[in-house]
Amino acid sequence: MDQSENTSLLDSLSSNFPSTTNDFDTLKIFVKEDEWVQAATKLKDEYGLSFFSWLSAVDWENDVSVGDPPKENVQPSFEILCCLSDTSDGNFVILSTTIDKTNPIINTLVNVFPGASWHEREAYEMFGISFEGHPNLIKLYLPDGFEGNPLLKSYELLTREVKPWPGEVDVEPMPESDEEIKGDDEQ
Amino acid sequence: MTTTIDPENLPFISETSVSVEIETEGMTLNIGPQHPSTHGVLRLVAKVDGEQIFNVEPVLGYMHRGYEKLAEVRTYPQITTLVNRIDWVSGFSNEIPFIAATEKLMEVEVPERAKYIRLILTEMARIASHFVFNGAYPLEIGALTPLFYAMEDRERVLDLIESVTGGRFHPNFNRIGGVKPAAGAGPATKKDIQDLPAGFYQETRDSMETILKACDKFEDLVGGNEVFIARTKNIGVLPSEVASAYGVSGPILRASGVKFDLRSTTDYLPYKDFDYEIPTGENGDCYDRWFVRLQEIRESAKIVLQAIDAVPSGPLQAKVPKIIKVPEGECYVRAENPKGEMGYHLISEGGLGPYRLKIRTASFSNISVLPWLLEGVLIPDLLAIMGSFDFVLGDVDR
Amino acid sequence: MSFGLELAIKVGVIAAIAPAMALALTIIEIKGSAYMQRRPGPLHVGLRGLIFPIAEVIKFIQKEDIIPTKADKSVFKWAPAYIFISVFGLFVIIPASPTLIVRDLELGVFYLMAISSFSTIGVLTAGWSSANKYSMMGGLRAAAQLIAYELPLILAVIGVVIQAETMSLVGIVEAQKEWGVPFVIAGQGVAFVIFMVAATAEMMRVPFDMPIGESELVSGFLTEYSGIRFLLFYISEYINLFVMCAIASTLFLGGYHIPLLPVEWVNFYGPLVLIGKTFALAAILILIRWSFPRFREDQLQNIAWKILIPLSLANILVTAVMKVVF
Repeated sequence: MDQSENTSLLDSLSSNFPSTTNDFDTLKIFVKEDEWVQAATKLKDEYGLSFFSWLSAVDWENDVSVGDPPKENVQPSFEILCCLSDTSDGNFVILSTTIDKTNPIINTLVNVFPGASWHEREAYEMFGISFEGHPNLIKLYLPDGFEGNPLLKSYELLTREVKPWPGEVDVEPMPESDEEIKGDDEQ
Repeated sequence: MTTTIDPENLPFISETSVSVEIETEGMTLNIGPQHPSTHGVLRLVAKVDGEQIFNVEPVLGYMHRGYEKLAEVRTYPQITTLVNRIDWVSGFSNEIPFIAATEKLMEVEVPERAKYIRLILTEMARIASHFVFNGAYPLEIGALTPLFYAMEDRERVLDLIESVTGGRFHPNFNRIGGVKPAAGAGPATKKDIQDLPAGFYQETRDSMETILKACDKFEDLVGGNEVFIARTKNIGVLPSEVASAYGVSGPILRASGVKFDLRSTTDYLPYKDFDYEIPTGENGDCYDRWFVRLQEIRESAKIVLQAIDAVPSGPLQAKVPKIIKVPEGECYVRAENPKGEMGYHLISEGGLGPYRLKIRTASFSNISVLPWLLEGVLIPDLLAIMGSFDFVLGDVDR
Repeated sequence: MSFGLELAIKVGVIAAIAPAMALALTIIEIKGSAYMQRRPGPLHVGLRGLIFPIAEVIKFIQKEDIIPTKADKSVFKWAPAYIFISVFGLFVIIPASPTLIVRDLELGVFYLMAISSFSTIGVLTAGWSSANKYSMMGGLRAAAQLIAYELPLILAVIGVVIQAETMSLVGIVEAQKEWGVPFVIAGQGVAFVIFMVAATAEMMRVPFDMPIGESELVSGFLTEYSGIRFLLFYISEYINLFVMCAIASTLFLGGYHIPLLPVEWVNFYGPLVLIGKTFALAAILILIRWSFPRFREDQLQNIAWKILIPLSLANILVTAVMKVVF
């Protein structure tokens, strides 16, 4: 069911959480850092969103070492995203908060959703964000002795030093004209 | 506790009761990363006492390929190729949510024919994945024969997928705006349009009928076997609240009694036009998880039989520019992968590739519940439970 | 003939027959399983599949002899020998006809049970000396399983001994000749089933192959064995299969005896009849191997202690009562 049609959910969410957006069928709620755990608990208890989908982070940075920088200048920060869903209608909500890059600490969601444990460990090793209160915050994927946090925009990829982005095509280009690809009317 | 025995003053045994407890420590057993039963390179560090397990800690990362970082340095069509390889058993179904997310941000209208073809191929990928489970799970319990029967039926489906897309495991058939319209990589002229091959409809009908019969055979041979029932009933019961809290999705959640299927709640593909049931289990034990997947094969075959008769005519791909630039925006699209819920959170800043792509895979969340579930079980039961979770390491480690 | 010459001939014959039987059973197993699993390879490749056992033997012989560093070397090397010796020892009493037998011991059945339990030591020492946690677990599981299933094996045979009034195997076959019907029909049907189940467990075949537990313990107590040492285990497993089925057919199915053929030529058709019955039983066991998953050990032990032993005791009781009354 299209989320944008579920106006009752949208209305009740907007009344409780002032900054809720609904673009592209994705309900996104912004909360402040210190309301993180509270908001998650509220969504679980009152709205029935008890299915923990995922938790991750985004590194907003103007000075990127690989890829394209953001179109407009952003304030460098980490944005933590957590997606919760319900198990009956398929409504989902993305909870988002912004934390400071110089001191990236946030409370853990493990007491509300036990499944957050591994996702937080992954965010810890990929971005360097510490989760306060996490019982076992150690590396998940990367081998022992790995230095650095790979998903930070400032992390440099060795091969990109050699080849420019998005990567030169290694084979000869196909002989083709510059028309648009048309979808054909026949089958 | 140990007693100290004083040789001078040994009491008569009949007068006192000496209780000595022999302390045994647990043994640390490393299951994996190379092991016949972990589906790939999963390492479980298990503390065992004889045959019983105290606790289990999975160690991941042996297959980590860095997909999320890789997605930041690739263009959108290149990522379509990469994404096939996350859950390599059902290659086609990994592309769907990613393409749907890109199409959502670009606000592209996908033609109906392309949607139906996508649906048929997704259901075939689901059948293929569940047949792998059907063959490999009895193998872990000890029955060596169903593997061959399952693989034979799986070959029929893979042949069909190959005749349409050219690839069995990694079809790379989706394009932004539809499915691949032309042979080769050149521009689509009227002569080059390569649609569904001749005889596809009839072959699909025949194969699906055979698969429905094969499901009956499996239900009888494997599900009716007393030893199989004794090894899987009431083993590894997963309550539904725990499953939700850990993010366990897909057939495992349905086997625990929650009737939740993303195919019926989302509209990226036209599932609403077809008539199918959502199988659920009662107890949430290993037998239910096996049975739910067997039922899902049946339902998928029925959907394909209905869809084959209803494919509309029309173009195969919408008009999109040659160099694809997705406008700014952020969206999360999720789909029902055979293993569970697979979703892509795409944050785009208008470039040739995404700014951030978060891949939510089903098996990662599914096996995060294993330490909770595996306390106090015996080692053969550990393998039965792990096998019933049907995870793939590419899905876990990305 | 002098004792030495007779001994040499008998040892030579056994040394020739036993591996030949093992090879024949390997061929039946491979082709049977290929039929059941629809694998065309062993059915068509290489002279219709007959080359496979020879190819396997050659493969194993030419492999490197690897002994783990921390393994207990002398124990590790001797472990296959225990099993090999115990199965060869059983050939002494199998009657191919009333005179074609190595030695018709008066205590045939007693000897049989004693020697067949000798292989437990081999399995346990193989598991322990390999310095590998998986092998040790496989060895311990094997010890528990083999000891548990000795009892139903012995108790099932006691019923036959009571009915035949003799422990010598030739005597048991003669008793069946007198009865006119083999013992499996003449009242020992339950004992036959118990014997076959217990024999499958003694040979550690699926559905009782927890000690080997292929998908769990990566071959269990056999994990660290490769090359010729593994070949010894492998061949002794098949010789064990042959011997157990031969004994079952002797005790329950009538051995070398078939009612219609004349008695003077028993030296010619006796061995063939025995081999035929043995292969029939072995084929059933092979069929079961590829059809069933394996039991967990506690289920296995439950079956032995709570089902098979009480049943076999009841069988003895009933046989004894019937023997006295009739």
